[in-house]
Amino acid sequence: MVSSGTLPLKAEPPLIEIEKLQFRYPESPAPALDGVSFRVERGLLYGLLGPNGSGKTTLLKLLAGILAAPKGALRIAGAPVETRTSRERSRCALVPQDFAFYPRLSVRENLEFFAGVQGYGGSDARERIAETMRQTALESWGDHRADRCSGGLKRRLNIAIGLLGRPELLLLDEPTVGIDPQSRHFILDSVRSINRAGTTVVYTTHYLEEIQSLCARVAVLDRGKLRAEGSLTELLGGGAGAAGALEGLFLELTDSALRD
Amino acid sequence: MGPLHHLIRKEWILLGRDRHSLLLLFLMPTAFILIMSLALRGLFAGHGAVAVTYVLVDSDKSRASAQLAARIHAHPEFAAVDTPGDEEALRRLLRSGRTQFLVLVPPGFGASLDSGEPRPVRLYAAPTLDAAVVKLFDAALREAAARVYLRRSLDGLGPNPDGDSGAADRALERVDALVVSPPEEPGKSAGPTAVQQNVPAWLIFAMFFIAVPLSSTWVQERAQGTYQRLLSMGVPRWKLVLGKAIPYLCVSLAQGALMLAIGVWLVPLLGGDALELGAHPEALALMIAAVGFAAVSFALLVANIARSVEQATLLTGVCNLLFAALGGVMVPRFIMPPTLKAIGACSPMAWGLEGFLDVFLRRGGLADVAPRAGLLVGFGCAALSMAAFLFARDRRG
Repeated sequence: MVSSGTLPLKAEPPLIEIEKLQFRYPESPAPALDGVSFRVERGLLYGLLGPNGSGKTTLLKLLAGILAAPKGALRIAGAPVETRTSRERSRCALVPQDFAFYPRLSVRENLEFFAGVQGYGGSDARERIAETMRQTALESWGDHRADRCSGGLKRRLNIAIGLLGRPELLLLDEPTVGIDPQSRHFILDSVRSINRAGTTVVYTTHYLEEIQSLCARVAVLDRGKLRAEGSLTELLGGGAGAAGALEGLFLELTDSALRD
Repeated sequence: MGPLHHLIRKEWILLGRDRHSLLLLFLMPTAFILIMSLALRGLFAGHGAVAVTYVLVDSDKSRASAQLAARIHAHPEFAAVDTPGDEEALRRLLRSGRTQFLVLVPPGFGASLDSGEPRPVRLYAAPTLDAAVVKLFDAALREAAARVYLRRSLDGLGPNPDGDSGAADRALERVDALVVSPPEEPGKSAGPTAVQQNVPAWLIFAMFFIAVPLSSTWVQERAQGTYQRLLSMGVPRWKLVLGKAIPYLCVSLAQGALMLAIGVWLVPLLGGDALELGAHPEALALMIAAVGFAAVSFALLVANIARSVEQATLLTGVCNLLFAALGGVMVPRFIMPPTLKAIGACSPMAWGLEGFLDVFLRRGGLADVAPRAGLLVGFGCAALSMAAFLFARDRRG
């Protein structure tokens, strides 16, 4: 029998696939992540919610390949994280919560350095640097030493470094901590436009209104376990209500006891 | 250009902007070398012998007592102190530590040599003196007294049958010839001068202080998540280590060149002795490289042990002061008691210092300094392996 017509297209796997993921720090009695499973489709702006110590940052480090999980599966674009090449790893950018750059270097020197260590040189590096400075509105701050920049500028530089590799997956760990409303508004706008340009974003925060305004889907983590996962509409029972509704759900899922 | 090139370039820029570290690494040893080389010049001039002071009271005023005093005065290691006063006042002077020995030549000392019942010279030592110094002075005094007695006895025999009256002198010359000290080889000396001791000592000390800026920046980069970011960008850990180690190794080589130049050219301009570099520059280069490698490896170990900048600074300070105190940087090892000297032999700074002294004093070549350089490289390899192990299992990034 001879078939005719086009071959059926192979379905593209989700960008992130996490299955029964477990991780425990050597010095810790309790697991940081315990049997977590969920998927993130390409092009999503995905929110990770959870109180302090819930496992959000650990999950981002596992996705970035800094930590290795002994149990469970963690795949990016269908490939196990641990088997990715350096080039593939650089397509997934982690923006840590701390200012992970060099305070004594200028904004431009920092960008040049991080472009260089990722293997971008010459005109390619210059283009990438100009592009990320434009995206994060740092053009007029290039010669300023990073330690003399305001908190908002530092946050933007932190994100700009993550964008140098034009990542297909951007992992943002609480990128709006400790900045003024103007800078926060700018960063949220930037994240939206980065996502609109095709980059999948995983966004962790304590600010529920940020999740509500940015994210299409959300995972709620607590004590290393996945408590809920879905679109905001699904989680809030059909009505994507006010921030207060999400906060109520968050406290219900994670209980209201202090964590630290 | 790979990541390593960018890591090294970044480190150079950061170090160039860290004025405090540059002062610590270059100005501190320069100041120590200049001060110590000039201040301790006199102390080291006698090849490390301790300057011993004494008061000699000659109550006899005979030819024999004058010969005894002249004999003691002839020792370059002993310095006479001319202080008038009775015996009790002089003994108080001795107890106060203002002189170290009191020699009392009694009246009738010379005449008693012929009587068969000699009147002994009395020797008092300051109570705080090292036993070896007391023995040394005591032996010198006994030797002087023996010579006076021998001369007197030989003179008493009168001229020999040939009418020769110089028999006593010749007999004493023969006594002198029983023990000889071979002349030193040109360029070799038994002990270091102030500049030979202090240039390598403070150079090594400063090289090990590389641990302060290196470990501080390492701890900061780790705490700020910069290493996590670099690792997530696919930069391997070994390149992070090399990116830190190579610039600081270059800094330690620059320290070596600068401190030697100060010893050779600047110290003599200020009135001190010029540093003589020995006959084997390749051996000197090996020692500088070996100390630099040990210092940078030690710094990386401190960086991976410390949890904070404060811990790193404290750990570096305490370890370096211990290494320096035991290793002969602060107090030359040749004046240490044997136990402390044996303990000090375990300090990497002692290996470095002895290696430099091998080159400067003993005109040592590569083969002579290789064992000490080997110890330093071994120490460096052990520290580097431990640092790499700690970094590899470090979950903070």
